[in-house]
Amino acid sequence: MTGTTSGSGGKFRTSLPHDDPRHLIAHHFLNEEAALLDAAAWHLWLELLTPDITYLMPVRVTTMADTDPSTLGTHARMDHFAEDLYSLRKRVERLSGGHAWTEDPPSRTRHLVTNVRTFTAETDPPVPEPTGVGAVVEVESALLLFRSRGDDRPPEFLSAGRRDLLRHTEHGWRLAHRSVTVDESVLRTQNLAILL
Amino acid sequence: MRPGPAEEISAAIADGMIPAHVYGDPEVFELERRNLFPRTWVFLGHTSEIPHPGDFVLRRIVDDSFIVTRDDTGRIGVHLNMCLHRGMQVCRAEMGNTRMFRCPYHAWSYRNDGSLAGLPFHDEAYGGEEGLSRDRHRLVAPARVETYNGLMFAAVEDPGISLEDFLGDFRFYLDLYTAQSESGLELRGPQRWRVNANWKIGCENFVGDMYHTPYTHRSVVDIGLFREPKAHKRKEGVLYHCGVGGGTTYKLPPGDFTERMRYVGYPDIMIDRMAALWSEPQRRMVGDDGFMVSAATLFPNLSLVHNWPIVREGEDVVPFISLRQWHPVSATETEVLSWFAVDAEAPDDFKADSYKAYLMCFGSSGMFEQDDIENWVSITTAAAGSMAHRLQLNSRMGLLHDGGQVGRPLDDFPGPGFARVGYGEFNQRNWLQMWSRHLFPPGAGDTTGRDTGGER
Repeated sequence: MTGTTSGSGGKFRTSLPHDDPRHLIAHHFLNEEAALLDAAAWHLWLELLTPDITYLMPVRVTTMADTDPSTLGTHARMDHFAEDLYSLRKRVERLSGGHAWTEDPPSRTRHLVTNVRTFTAETDPPVPEPTGVGAVVEVESALLLFRSRGDDRPPEFLSAGRRDLLRHTEHGWRLAHRSVTVDESVLRTQNLAILL
Repeated sequence: MRPGPAEEISAAIADGMIPAHVYGDPEVFELERRNLFPRTWVFLGHTSEIPHPGDFVLRRIVDDSFIVTRDDTGRIGVHLNMCLHRGMQVCRAEMGNTRMFRCPYHAWSYRNDGSLAGLPFHDEAYGGEEGLSRDRHRLVAPARVETYNGLMFAAVEDPGISLEDFLGDFRFYLDLYTAQSESGLELRGPQRWRVNANWKIGCENFVGDMYHTPYTHRSVVDIGLFREPKAHKRKEGVLYHCGVGGGTTYKLPPGDFTERMRYVGYPDIMIDRMAALWSEPQRRMVGDDGFMVSAATLFPNLSLVHNWPIVREGEDVVPFISLRQWHPVSATETEVLSWFAVDAEAPDDFKADSYKAYLMCFGSSGMFEQDDIENWVSITTAAAGSMAHRLQLNSRMGLLHDGGQVGRPLDDFPGPGFARVGYGEFNQRNWLQMWSRHLFPPGAGDTTGRDTGGER
């Protein structure tokens, strides 16, 4: 029963029911991925990405309620992350190379993933079987990232929404796109030497 | 009488030693808040951030919030974000476009040039113009607002020197970052994040610390982000310092101006514009001597960086420029504002690749910046302890016990100020001496050359 409803907030989509196979696949994928990230299994995480992955985290800005969202997007024009497979691989190589001082000692992280909502996604050409090879599923989730490091500073939280596209490849389900909507305009974490 | 903290700090710094507590001491921060930041030129942003009439951004000088506007006639203005009536902040968005700032408390309204446009019940409550003359009321402005190459600066109190004179001959170096064509820079951002570090450490790092590159940034060299393991070649570059600013360079392999600009990844169309715009000594610094600008700091808290990583597997390097401000929040907290900057006339594909180069290296997720800030947070944590009052950090690199120097300045360097090859803390000491002169209240201490730089 995917559909859209209109309200004061504009277009609001209804997600697939939670017993839909696509939802089960997406939810399972996100939980497995979070486990890899919390275990610092960066190289295994890289294997979950398609070669044409795009990984974005735009900078959020504080604007008045009546600001035209289209103008705003072009005005900020800045991201915390705008990654492809090359730059994500470089980040992982750095973190695993033994000389990334900012993660030595490493952060203790917990990727808390919740509010998982799955949607059908169009593919070109269309795939006859909704979970067959070539199929794409769109999934939104909420992320609360707990990060603790050392013993003399309070832990940090990073709250964000994520919009992902999962693609069923011949190797299994892979992450083809991620867009992270962070909930702070000024980050209160020391750096983004972590993945969301 | 026991000397005050400003006297003690000044004396130690003149000897190349830094009282460690200055990086975590609320009393020192109070001196900076009161005596330094309101009385010198402070960077607010770039005109390309507010290109159209009505555009504005919100920026701060320590704890004062200012609305930086382009008014309906296209003029740049800076206005204290505080209503004249009850002191409410009339602007609560960090950027946008508006003709009017209206206070939500009682609806006093100000035009985007800061003038008071209207207030409710003006006649009934105030007796109209006879009780409150709208023409004579406008949002408070800093004493001076001036721009250079699109960089907007304000001075809260009149520093007694124009921005151009303040920048002085440092403009020679500033131009290499900010004037690559007649159109100058366009900025994207900033990314903003808060770190538990004192604001001064970033300033000192960028002004002259070539010594940290090989070890702090070892991981970035390990992963092959550069075409050669260049961190170890860092000591072949020059440090330069001139008045209110200083910086570091890399030594490029042999070649002429065009070849050396190509080596760091500039396309010919941009090289031709720089060759036409830059002075003969500017071209000679890069072309004949092979010194390419890297990190720099303009007093007090604006830094610049230029570097050239590989942004795609198997491809050549691409250069990027970033401007960054170390905005002081407290003795132990800094808000970093980090902009991507690129020549406005650069080809679109260059802009896209240069942006990618920036994101990989600097900013909130930058692989260089992460390890820098790790160091600065750790220093600040240690400096906030009581033992920090009993430790003076050794910042004497390049000085001998008898007052002599390791090496000597270059005689034939094309740029103004002094330049010397290799590691040394001459620039950091210059920055710190300028800083310590600003800790004194007006009329006290040695304020010679307060706003025009220090030792050679």
